[in-house]
Amino acid sequence: MAWAASLIVSAFLATAARGAAPRFYPDDPIQTDDDRALDASGALSVEGSNGYDFAEHTFFKPGDQSDIRAVNVNTVGEVPDSSWFTNRIGRRAMSIDEIVRGPNQLETLNVDGWPIVQEKSSGITPGYRIVDPTGRLYQIKFDPPEHPEMGTGAEVIGAAIYHAFGYNVVQGYVVDIDPDQIVISPDATTVDMSGRERGLEREDVDRILERAARLTNGKYRAIASRFADGRPLGYFKYYGTRPDDPNDIYPHEHRRELRASRVLAAWLNHDDSRGLNSLDMLEGSEGQQSIRHYMFDFGSILGSGSTIAQVPRAGNEYILEWKPALKTLFSLGLWVRPWVKVDYPPVPPSVGRFEADFFDPVAWRPEYPNPAFDNMRADDAFWAARRVALFSDEIVRAVVAKAAYSDPAATEYISRTLMQRRDKVLRTWLTGVDPIVNPTLNANGMLASENAAESAGVAGAGSRYELVWSAFDNAADADVGPTEKIEANAPTSQAPAGILSNSTFVSLTIRTTHPDFPAWRHPTKVHFRRSPDGWDTVGIDRDTGAPIP
Amino acid sequence: MLARVLLSWALVCAGAVSPLVAQEPGQPTTRAEALARERETKAAALSPPEHSRLERTLIWLENDRLLERILNPAQGFYPKLGNITPGSGLAFGIAFRQPAVLGGHADFNTFAAGSLDKYWMLDATLAFPRLADGAVFADVKIQRYNFPEEDFFGLGPDSRRDAEASYREKGTVVGGGAGVRPTDWFSLSGRVNYRTPRLSDSAEVRIGDLGLDFPGLSGLVEQPDFVRYEVSADLNYRQPQGNPRRGGRYFIAFQRYDDQDFNRYTFNRLEADIQQYVPFLNDRRVIALRGFTSLSKADEGQQVPFYLQRTLGGPDDLRGFRRFRFRDENVLLLQAEYRWEIFTAMDGAIFYDAGMVAPTRRALSLGDLESDYGIGFRFGTINGVFLRVEGAFGSSGGKHLVIRYGHVF
Repeated sequence: MAWAASLIVSAFLATAARGAAPRFYPDDPIQTDDDRALDASGALSVEGSNGYDFAEHTFFKPGDQSDIRAVNVNTVGEVPDSSWFTNRIGRRAMSIDEIVRGPNQLETLNVDGWPIVQEKSSGITPGYRIVDPTGRLYQIKFDPPEHPEMGTGAEVIGAAIYHAFGYNVVQGYVVDIDPDQIVISPDATTVDMSGRERGLEREDVDRILERAARLTNGKYRAIASRFADGRPLGYFKYYGTRPDDPNDIYPHEHRRELRASRVLAAWLNHDDSRGLNSLDMLEGSEGQQSIRHYMFDFGSILGSGSTIAQVPRAGNEYILEWKPALKTLFSLGLWVRPWVKVDYPPVPPSVGRFEADFFDPVAWRPEYPNPAFDNMRADDAFWAARRVALFSDEIVRAVVAKAAYSDPAATEYISRTLMQRRDKVLRTWLTGVDPIVNPTLNANGMLASENAAESAGVAGAGSRYELVWSAFDNAADADVGPTEKIEANAPTSQAPAGILSNSTFVSLTIRTTHPDFPAWRHPTKVHFRRSPDGWDTVGIDRDTGAPIP
Repeated sequence: MLARVLLSWALVCAGAVSPLVAQEPGQPTTRAEALARERETKAAALSPPEHSRLERTLIWLENDRLLERILNPAQGFYPKLGNITPGSGLAFGIAFRQPAVLGGHADFNTFAAGSLDKYWMLDATLAFPRLADGAVFADVKIQRYNFPEEDFFGLGPDSRRDAEASYREKGTVVGGGAGVRPTDWFSLSGRVNYRTPRLSDSAEVRIGDLGLDFPGLSGLVEQPDFVRYEVSADLNYRQPQGNPRRGGRYFIAFQRYDDQDFNRYTFNRLEADIQQYVPFLNDRRVIALRGFTSLSKADEGQQVPFYLQRTLGGPDDLRGFRRFRFRDENVLLLQAEYRWEIFTAMDGAIFYDAGMVAPTRRALSLGDLESDYGIGFRFGTINGVFLRVEGAFGSSGGKHLVIRYGHVF
């Protein structure tokens, strides 16, 4: 008993030796980041300029480009729930119905008789705004006449996938607009080309409908997007923080869910991923308001370019990229950009321009540089790819079916192309770091973990694992004492009893060797903390080596 | 056994409590607390979002559509900028448009513009573009103009560059037209207008001297009024219309100029303009081809006045030559361009122009064409080219730099 007591005292004294913050707090890993704690009602609405945004990101490099780990992840490398992101797929089981439903609270929506209150004030897609009987505002957007169902289909597919991933997305419903049922509110307004606000008249609505695809039954298919709760504050930038939001402390270019949204954008060909296509909403009650951040506007994803089919450049090159432009210029066009030669197959007009054979996830890029995308590291991409891997063929088909394309060939083509692109994303980004996931240590000291790349079928068998165990001093943030190395053919192992028995924290450094994936040699470090039931996984750090090109 | 259990509990407690013991006073004890403190620190130093002056300006321009409202409003007054006729130079003026007049069926447009070279024009048009759901169109127009320095080098393919002269032409055009548009890409139309061209001294050349330098010049001494009739057919399926990369345009027109005063200058004219665009590499490369001909024939004993004869030379046809360098009753023009997209807003082009003028149709010959070649850059979007910069070489007219608003064809 005496020696036990002395050990207890020693433990206290040892940890008292260092006065700095410990590596792991008692509440690590946090599952929720309470970024709604402080009142943000003083935040102002922000407007943006398309021209300035393009010029700023094309000719300058805003934001910090340090090659650092994402700053908002918890100690196991996951993104806590916050006003930016809510863990859904991958955190809990989601039924296919739930994934397909996405953010929508209703199965269907009938907007007949809902009065128009305003012509759509921004964007290139024709539309207007209506209110439902409760006064809730909806935005109506139509498809272009040459490509019926293209934009509306893309919107519902994008919303469902982004929502399942965890992003905030507004509700959007495919609706049929009967021109004979259109009602215009007496207070409805529009802004004419002289910049004057005047009453909206039926001729204005007819002019909008002239630019819309009409169905064979005489109606118009549209997407009805429900305005989010709260007061709009404009958009968020993909760099910096909002200076008037006390809760916004992580530079956006270093938020994992923003960096890693490049993976999702590449998969879905969301080339219009930029700050101006986001939405900040101030919500909550007086004195306790906070900003919720939304991903917004999926009309320009997949093969849709909103009012036209995606141009061949979309996803393959920035609007202005000096190197290929100069090569093309000085070669008088004899040098041909590789993507120019892509042979798009004949597809229904509702597909637009979309393919998977040429698609290269690493080379994919949006319309112009995105600071968060440019900062994406292999661990960010791995985090996102794990979620992409959960979109099975069945889920993909179900989500695409939500678009209700009238031509089954469109549904089949988009589904197949999405699956092919998904597989490329997984082969690229599930293998960029050591893919060990879900490490646990039970009360008997048995390590269990999983190779995410092998589980997803993108890596064959043949991995060898080097496991180096050590005691860990949480206060000093350092391994202490002797280490013990174990080599195994599977990511499971009995931890050395000698290291476990005297430790409150232990660390495990895993190096995986696979002939096809040299990047796996970059180690993953896992920390476990003793608990009444055994051991809790409290830290996971992935060494990413060189940054992603 | 008891000791082992006690030891385990001790280590658990130590792990849980040691952060509290080990830390300096005031240090957070949990991650949540650490983050809350960061937020409280920020809350003490909030500031409003700031835009640079440039960004504020662009936001204002975009949100208020200021440039559109000033330069191209849907209705009202706006500045008129651009050429009013080839050779006028950049003209400035005021314009006014009022759409949807006369029960919404017509649009009214008018402008008054003048250039530093003293060219001016007044124009008023009442157009009916949307009759019968857009299948029928019509317009009436009145125009008054003054072109004080119209270049003239003589007639025929052998005119000399050093024979350069000029004349003033001013006049009035009143008339209208109507047509049918059974599809988006095909229209048939007819026009009638009354024209009163009058020639006089330019700033540098007296009209009488022109007659001495070019004896027998048809129409120099007196200019009648004309009634001009035209029927035309236009099959235009270029895509996109403003900056075509595929499709074609086939235009044919028959015109008759009827001398109202002297029974000396009545003639007919047949014109055809064929354009074809051959795309490859996903429309990123285009071969653009154009053939244009204008064939005039005066009535028995009549003449085609020189000032109404077609010309070649200038930024829109034979780019290696001065404007109006060649003039005669019959014209043949062939143009070919290889266009390649450099990036979204800029195309490059290598071109070859060839053409000739001739007094008779039979004299037109592919073997005697004047030609030039060159390279150029076009700035714009899929909806149109707003600026063209080209260098033309290889002609007997020397090198020429072309800076022009709008496409060549």
